[in-house]
Amino acid sequence: MVLKGRHWVMIWLLAFLVAAGSVVARQTAALRIARALNQTRDSLSSLQSRRAEYERRIRQAASRSVLVPRAQALGLRLPADSEIVIQPVPDTSGP
Amino acid sequence: MAKLTTRVSFIEGSLGVLLLALLVRSAQVQLFQGARWSAEAKQARTEHVVLEAPRGALLDRHGTPIALTQETYHVGIAPNELRDPDHDPEAIARALHLPFMKVEDELSRHYAYFAGPFTAGTVQGLRDVRGVHLEPVLNRFYPSPDFARAFIGRAGEGGQKPSGLERTLDTLLAGTPGAAVVLKDRAGREYDSPARRLQSPVPGNDVELTLDAELQEIAQRSLRLALEKMDADGGDVVMLDPATGEVLAVASERRDGVSRPSAFIDAYEPGSVAKIFTAGALIADHRISLTDRVSGENGKYKMQDRTLVDDHPLPTLNLADAIRVSSNIAMAKFVTRLDHDDEYGMLRDFGLGTPTGIEFPAEASGRLALPKDWSRPTPTSLAIGYEVSVTPLQIAAAYGAIANDGVLLEPTLVREVRAPNGEILYRHQPEPVRRVVSPEVARELRQLLAGVVSSGGTGASAALATFTLAAKTGTSRQVVNGHYKAGAYNASFAALFPADHPQLVVVVKVENPRKGSYFAAETAAPVTRAMLEQALASRTVALDRARLSAVAPAAGVGELEEDPGVAPYVVSWPPAHDTAAPAPPRPVPDVSGRTLRDAVRLLHRRGFHVVIKGWGNVQKTWPAAGAEAAAGSLVTVFGDTPQ
Repeated sequence: MVLKGRHWVMIWLLAFLVAAGSVVARQTAALRIARALNQTRDSLSSLQSRRAEYERRIRQAASRSVLVPRAQALGLRLPADSEIVIQPVPDTSGP
Repeated sequence: MAKLTTRVSFIEGSLGVLLLALLVRSAQVQLFQGARWSAEAKQARTEHVVLEAPRGALLDRHGTPIALTQETYHVGIAPNELRDPDHDPEAIARALHLPFMKVEDELSRHYAYFAGPFTAGTVQGLRDVRGVHLEPVLNRFYPSPDFARAFIGRAGEGGQKPSGLERTLDTLLAGTPGAAVVLKDRAGREYDSPARRLQSPVPGNDVELTLDAELQEIAQRSLRLALEKMDADGGDVVMLDPATGEVLAVASERRDGVSRPSAFIDAYEPGSVAKIFTAGALIADHRISLTDRVSGENGKYKMQDRTLVDDHPLPTLNLADAIRVSSNIAMAKFVTRLDHDDEYGMLRDFGLGTPTGIEFPAEASGRLALPKDWSRPTPTSLAIGYEVSVTPLQIAAAYGAIANDGVLLEPTLVREVRAPNGEILYRHQPEPVRRVVSPEVARELRQLLAGVVSSGGTGASAALATFTLAAKTGTSRQVVNGHYKAGAYNASFAALFPADHPQLVVVVKVENPRKGSYFAAETAAPVTRAMLEQALASRTVALDRARLSAVAPAAGVGELEEDPGVAPYVVSWPPAHDTAAPAPPRPVPDVSGRTLRDAVRLLHRRGFHVVIKGWGNVQKTWPAAGAEAAAGSLVTVFGDTPQ
């Protein structure tokens, strides 16, 4: 079969549509990925912010200024040095 | 017909002219003005933005974050873009924790702007609200804002200069900003596409400080409580590791609440704390034998220019006595054996009158006059810690030299610098300044200082029960506007813990204590003891417990803090109420053959204190198993493998 002029027009038109379609598809995918990337970045930022806030609250809650008065209110006290026994560590360096 | 032809020709001609004009204009735009129009188009559709570099983190020696950088946001709102103008303002106010009226007032303008900065968590709910524009900005965050605040400083946001360590370490912490290009539409709105990075930002380096977060908290809290209790104007605490010069804790508190690093920048006359330096000169230059004695003059000694008074008079004193009871009279007599140059040289060698070189934007050098500028009473004044001014940091460094077998080290606050990829760029190594005295002289000085904390010494109130301390008290008059202020004193205490192989130098200074005694023995010394007890009780404090365990049994037994009739106890959870009734003597349990841990637990449960000698399983105890011993008394446990 001999390709006539209109066939060539059809072929070129089809090629153009395929090329244009692939460009649109790639751009759409890129935008979708970019949006997902931004969302992930936002989530990361949000989580880091929450972690920092929790860290601050933990540090505050675990600080002596909070714990010691509570412990004292419960009847606890800091030990005197005579009540602290540091057990010797065996010397493993020798023969 | 001819008319029609003419008309067509005219239209053709006109179109030809138009086409030609179009071609000419196109050529002009493309060929001659192409670059300009291209630049304008680029500018209209793209924007260059600076990408901020995250500032490096500041960490304590265990990796606990002290200062971090986190992304925060400014919030802009275009009211005309809001989808639900009736309900959105309320949601925005709720999310940003702002009063509704304020938000509504701002939204009445063309464009509302809330500077915040708001954390990512706060603005999370606003990300999908149309009309809300978030502007990310990096912000410095301090998890414990009060942590060594005067020394850490602030990163200097909003055009302010950084302060404190943030300033000194700025070149290390600040990264290199990057650059990017973003695409915009005709209305100037950014496309929802990633920016094209021209240059990525390089984050700053992380800096690990020498500070120990736990010890720092102990120091700050103890100092604050002490200042409240004594109604003092202010105070400082410096703790450093004498083997490395690393500052483990530094606290400065003022009663007026002003945050200033006075431990580094406020010089004062140290008083008797400086006597040990003159003692060092006397011993190093062989100008004294430890058996040499001088008269105590019944506590009052009239000199040509002044009258010296001792608070603890003794009939005669040797050098050890002079240090132990802090005798001004004996030191005044002993110092006459020194040349001016020798006395000056020793004080200078200990670092007095010169900045220590610590990494801090400002440090006072203190004052130590050259011998040529001395007046007649100067040698005596220097021997008892007057006519010389020092910072608490200088005292700590000088006592560190005594602890470090006579070698003065440069104190430091920086332990390690790490690149963003984790590569170690710098790690602190001890930096010796000079050898001040020989190891033998340093040992003798430590023995003199240990006498201060023994029975009858001025620092006995700082004594620990199981560890020896080497320390010196100092109570000096306070100088205000160049004159001694009546009734105002600075109380200081410098201690080496433990006395043998010290691991910690502690300097405590209390300014103008008003309630109770103003003497260092009753102000700064008990604070030191309280801090050391807390440090011992803490598992995370940077102490070498293996070395301490070897030192503790040899140190003997001090007095118990509690009434000996009350047994120390371990409180169960929830705590049972303490009956506090004096307990009768009880038999020492037989713990032979048990592991040390079991034995110690059992003896503690029975109400005894325990000292361990050796390791392995328990061989015997003293008092022996079955013998009666008072509750709270000491039981020595001998392991089957001697030390």
